[in-house]
Amino acid sequence: MRTRIIAKLDVKPPYVVKPVHFEGLRKVGIPAELAKKYYDQGADEVFYIDIVASLYQREILFDTIEETANELLIPFAVGGGVRSMENFSKLFHKGADKVVLNTYALQENPDLINEAARTFGNQAVVVNIEAKKWDNHYECYSDCGRIQSEKDVLAWVKEVEERGAGEILLQSVDKDGRQRGFDINLAKQVVDAVEIPVVVSSGAGTLEDIKELIEYAKPSGVAIASLLHYDKLTIEEIKKYLRNDGIEVSK
Amino acid sequence: MSNVIGIVNYGVAGNIHSVQKAIEKAGGKVKIVNTKEELLAVDKIILPGVGSFRDAMEELHNKELVESLKEVVQEKSILGICLGMQILTSLGFEYGKTAGLGFINAEVKPMLVDAKVPHLGFSSIEVIKSNAILKGLENEEFYFMHSYEVVNYTDIATLTSYANHKFVSSIHKDKVYGVQFHPEKSRDAGIRLFTNFIEL
Repeated sequence: MRTRIIAKLDVKPPYVVKPVHFEGLRKVGIPAELAKKYYDQGADEVFYIDIVASLYQREILFDTIEETANELLIPFAVGGGVRSMENFSKLFHKGADKVVLNTYALQENPDLINEAARTFGNQAVVVNIEAKKWDNHYECYSDCGRIQSEKDVLAWVKEVEERGAGEILLQSVDKDGRQRGFDINLAKQVVDAVEIPVVVSSGAGTLEDIKELIEYAKPSGVAIASLLHYDKLTIEEIKKYLRNDGIEVSK
Repeated sequence: MSNVIGIVNYGVAGNIHSVQKAIEKAGGKVKIVNTKEELLAVDKIILPGVGSFRDAMEELHNKELVESLKEVVQEKSILGICLGMQILTSLGFEYGKTAGLGFINAEVKPMLVDAKVPHLGFSSIEVIKSNAILKGLENEEFYFMHSYEVVNYTDIATLTSYANHKFVSSIHKDKVYGVQFHPEKSRDAGIRLFTNFIEL
C-alpha cells in the first residue's frame, strides 16, 4: 500500500504561516505559490487549513482558496471555520475536494459530520484532531490548540468514524512545528482505533522521522509543513528516500 | 465537426468544476448539462462523480435524464468518473438497492478489502483490455477516492490492486467508458485521458 505524502498549508490569509506549538506565527509564503511548488515536487495532495477563521469567528476566505485550487491537478482538502452545509457547498464550488472540520463539530454540533457525509459522501469529510497529551491519555483541542474540549481523542475518533467521516487528519499540539519527530504512539493508537484512513501531521524534522512514523504506525498519509516551507527537503527527496527503504509511495 | 463535451450536473456536491477545468486544459469545449434538451445537443457526455449511488440516480430521474441517456448511448460516447462509472451499471447497494443506468452488466458493492476504506491515493492500473481513452497511459498512476467497487466479469478494461485486493478500475463497452479513478485529480496523465476522450 502506498503511503500518501501530503503538503500542509497553515494559512492566515493572505499568507501561509508556520506556527510553533500552534502559536508564534511566522510568514512563509503565498498559498497558491507554495501549493504549485509542492504540486511540482510530486505531492499526492494538498491540505489547506485557515488557522484563524474559527478563532476570529469569520467565514473562511474563499478567494484565496479558489486561487490555490486553480494551481492543482491533485486532491485539495480545505478547512478552517467550517460550520454549515452552505460552507461545504461553497468550498466544493471553489475547488475543494474534501472539507476539513474541527472546532464546530467538536465543540458545538457533531451532527454536521453525519449530514455532510450523507450529502457529499464520506470521502469528502475529513475531521481534524488536535491532540494534546496528558498523563495517560490524549485530549482533543480546537482553535490551534487553544481551547480544550474534555473529549478523549480515541473516543472522539471512533465517534466521528461512526458518524460518517471518511478520513482523519491527526495533529499533535505538543509536537507541531518543532521538527523533533512525530508522536508515534499517538499515531499508532489512532490508526489502530479506526477503519478509516488517518493522515498524520506534526513533527517531521528528518527523513528518519517520517520513515519511523510510517513503519511504526502505518498511517495512510503523512502531512508535512515546516520541512517543506523552510526548503529543508522536497517531496521528491522524501519519496525517493522512502522508496529506497522499501516503503511504497506514488511516483 | 462540433465537439462539445457535456458534463451532467447531478447531485448537490459534484466536482463539476474540477472536471470542467481539466477538460478545458485538455483542449475541450465544455457545456454543463441540466436538461434533456442540453443533453441531446452535446457531442459527448461525462458523468462526474461525488456523492452516493442512490442520490445520483434520484437526481437523474428528477431531471428526466435517465431516459435521455438511454436514448443517446448508441450514438454518443459517455465517460463515467468514479460514482459516474458506478451508475453505468445495473444495480447499486449504497443506502439500499438502487437500479443504475444498466449500460454495463455489473453491480456496485462495498470494497471487500482488509485495509482502510475509503481507498485514497495514487495507484497504477493493470490493463486487461485496452481502449482508445487509455492510449499511452498503460504505465501511469491515477488518483482513487472510493469506498465502493464495480463487480463484474465482462467489459473490464483495467484492474487495480489495493492492499491484497484487486478491483475493477475501468470498464469499456461500445461507446460507454467508465473509470473508478479521478482523471481530473491525476496530474498530466488525467489530462491525457481527457484528451483521448475528446479525440474519440
